[in-house]
Amino acid sequence: MNPKALWSLYLPKWGATMQVAWSNLLVYRLNFLLSAIAPLVVFLVVKLSLWYRVYEGAPSALVGGFTFSQMATYHLWVFLTSLLVFNGNATKISEDIRMGKITSYLIYPFSLWEFHGATFLARTLVQLGIAATTLTGVWAFLSGQVHFPEPHTLALGLLLTLMAAGFWFWANYLVGLIGFWMEETWTLMVMLQILAYFLSGSLIPLSFYPPWLQGLLNYTPFPAIAYLPARVLMGESAGVIQALWVLGFWNLGAALLAQLVWKKGLRLYTAAGM
Amino acid sequence: MIQASLLNKSFRIHKKQPGFIGALGNFFNREYHSKPAVVDFEVTVRPGEVIGLLGPNGAGKTTLMKMFTGIIVPSAGELKVLGQTPHLRSREFRKQIALVMGQKSQLWWDLPALDSFLLLQKYYEIPKADFKRRLDELSTLLGVIDLLEVHVRKLSLGERMKLELMSCLLHEPKILFLDEPTIGLDLVAQRNIRAFLARYQKEKGTTLILTSHYMADVEALCQRLVLILGGKKRFDGKIEDFEQILGNNKIVAYDFDRPLSTEDPVLAPFAPVWNEDRTRVELTIPALQLRELSQKILKDYPVVDFHTEKLPIERVMTQLMDRPELL
Amino acid sequence: MGSRIKQYLSIYGSFFSTSFSAAMSFRGHFVLLILMDLVFYYTHLVSIDILYDHIQTIGIWDRQQLLFFASVMLAINQISMTLVSENYWIFPLSIRTGELDFSLIKPVNAVFLSFFRIIRPGSLINVCFTGPAVVYFGLQVGLSPLAWVCLPFAVVGGFLLQNAIEMFLSCAMFWMMDGTGINFIRVELQQLARWPDFVYPRLLRSSLTLVLPVLLIGSGPVRFLLDPTDGWPLVWLVGFLGLFWLLLGFFWRLGLKAYESASS
Repeated sequence: MNPKALWSLYLPKWGATMQVAWSNLLVYRLNFLLSAIAPLVVFLVVKLSLWYRVYEGAPSALVGGFTFSQMATYHLWVFLTSLLVFNGNATKISEDIRMGKITSYLIYPFSLWEFHGATFLARTLVQLGIAATTLTGVWAFLSGQVHFPEPHTLALGLLLTLMAAGFWFWANYLVGLIGFWMEETWTLMVMLQILAYFLSGSLIPLSFYPPWLQGLLNYTPFPAIAYLPARVLMGESAGVIQALWVLGFWNLGAALLAQLVWKKGLRLYTAAGM
Repeated sequence: MIQASLLNKSFRIHKKQPGFIGALGNFFNREYHSKPAVVDFEVTVRPGEVIGLLGPNGAGKTTLMKMFTGIIVPSAGELKVLGQTPHLRSREFRKQIALVMGQKSQLWWDLPALDSFLLLQKYYEIPKADFKRRLDELSTLLGVIDLLEVHVRKLSLGERMKLELMSCLLHEPKILFLDEPTIGLDLVAQRNIRAFLARYQKEKGTTLILTSHYMADVEALCQRLVLILGGKKRFDGKIEDFEQILGNNKIVAYDFDRPLSTEDPVLAPFAPVWNEDRTRVELTIPALQLRELSQKILKDYPVVDFHTEKLPIERVMTQLMDRPELL
Repeated sequence: MGSRIKQYLSIYGSFFSTSFSAAMSFRGHFVLLILMDLVFYYTHLVSIDILYDHIQTIGIWDRQQLLFFASVMLAINQISMTLVSENYWIFPLSIRTGELDFSLIKPVNAVFLSFFRIIRPGSLINVCFTGPAVVYFGLQVGLSPLAWVCLPFAVVGGFLLQNAIEMFLSCAMFWMMDGTGINFIRVELQQLARWPDFVYPRLLRSSLTLVLPVLLIGSGPVRFLLDPTDGWPLVWLVGFLGLFWLLLGFFWRLGLKAYESASS
């Protein structure tokens, strides 16, 4: 099949699915704001307040190599990267499996991962819009105080973040698929979320962590969720090439694993005759 | 038992255009409409009566049931059930009613029904001896002794429904509200539930208020029908009267061993409806002419089979739902 | 009155045993719930510890004091997780599906049925983490004998205030199409309360102490425990507990009036 035919085959399905996803996001207007945006805003408020007090008691005005304004900038970037990364919906997949709703995807010419992929893409686009607006707003208000990154730095930071988002999607999807074997999977997802906050440097920059842990984390996708892109966007790009390789590896690995798990789970599902 | 006058309930709904633009518009500017669900409803129910509430989907039957049980508050009007105002939900009131919903379950999904029953015993403060006696009685009558200790999620719908019913009867309510208790059940399960309800009602004299889309339920259980269309009461009376609401005609179908002419002058006055092969005709015959005409057809035509309709109320309901203006 | 209390206690006993049997049938989930909370507790304390590797104090507290505060908050969280948390998530579902109907027709208080029915017996086990943590950091900060006596009451008081506020907020679910949004607010408020009140800017601090007093949940009792002459936060806590209990009753009744019960 030539690319154009492929395009016209997939675009309408993905497009329509994304439209449905947008409608769903907006139907529950308040919930969308409260579930997707508010936690990050509150987290930002907590962090800025906390760090403000920290610096009040720090005589040298330098903590872990950061000034307060650098720390605040760091957390602004972390806010934006988190906005782009945490868009998964694993519990929905598990629920679909448990309620037997995935049966329709065995009949549709549209697979389950495509459905969730399109939904994820739709959400990411919305969040990207919110992130861009926030960025413009911050830049307009604080144009003198915040150093706005060069276009290529911005692109590199965005690339890192989107690759982390890709990994987060597959991780979510995988956890969702565990629904084939377990009644409830949200605990796993929450656990992963807590670990991601901790291991990505969302609260405290990773450079504060013990060196052995930092070394270990370099081989995981976690730093790319917050610490790495924030550092890149603040103009420090050491270790980015390695991070891109690591992320590529984890993305590929998770995607392949997801296909494998899907096949295994499906055998179980159809065998149970649900 | 139940005394309702000028009872009204309306709900607030909002509308949404499809697609992204619709969703976006809806996000910022939402239009609300008030939709009347029950309008000026009047009814009086005496103790021990068995009443069927009939009507198409969305007619307001469930809304009525929920007002009767105190779950929702009427928008206007007077309502007394067991001498009390239901939505004030006094303990005394709640101890004397029960509600079975065919589409919902009050049993704990992940536990055997018996665990739920034990919990209900505490809710309703049923003395141990009474509880045990009723449990034995009901489970024998319903044939579910072996199911009490099985996880509810492993039960079939029919089995679960029996246990749902049981859970509502452990405290021997004075009024039992049944909202589509046989929905989704197979024919045998439907028949069993009906038979059980009829027998239980006869023994205990419980007042039953039932909604169902299966006319067989209504035929088997109810002495009195209340028809609701578009939130308004359109009929209230005996089943026999309801059957004759559209005239005192009988519907009889005849099967023949070969195709016949559809232009037959003998059959023509009785609104014949032929099948595609012209081997079967359905006639609408006035009650007085039934004997005479039937004899003639059986004698003169190549009849291999014939039958009268089993559920006249079903035909009446269908016609009324299609054309409510007939009433 | 006595018999009513006895009835409710025996119902609560049944909740415990039914929740336990239900939880037992999902072993994987049971274990993961425990692990999930433990991961959270552990990362929270470790984060604070890492932070203090680079600084001496935050506001008025040093490492041990903040860790003591954090462990008290985790203990309150653990009790909430065990006794009520699950119900907050079930409640909006029961409104949306109309399952709440069944609670409303029972001759038992519907608030009680809605918020105390499901218990997470697994989370109870985590008391083995939060309990020793509180005691350990309590020893580190050198609590006075009076403070040790008051400690359990302080934890219970914080737990009660947190849930009085959260149940009150949950009443808003009656008016919403999908009340899970309120649950996200709850979680956010918990996040705010997890840090001592003095880290927040003045305006935020006073509104979260005097309007929606989530900062009293932990900061109130802990300030008192660390310095028993500072009793005011405790008085506020008790006062707000009463206030929110009354508010809950009022808005619950209002909510029931608005409840439309999903059509089947």
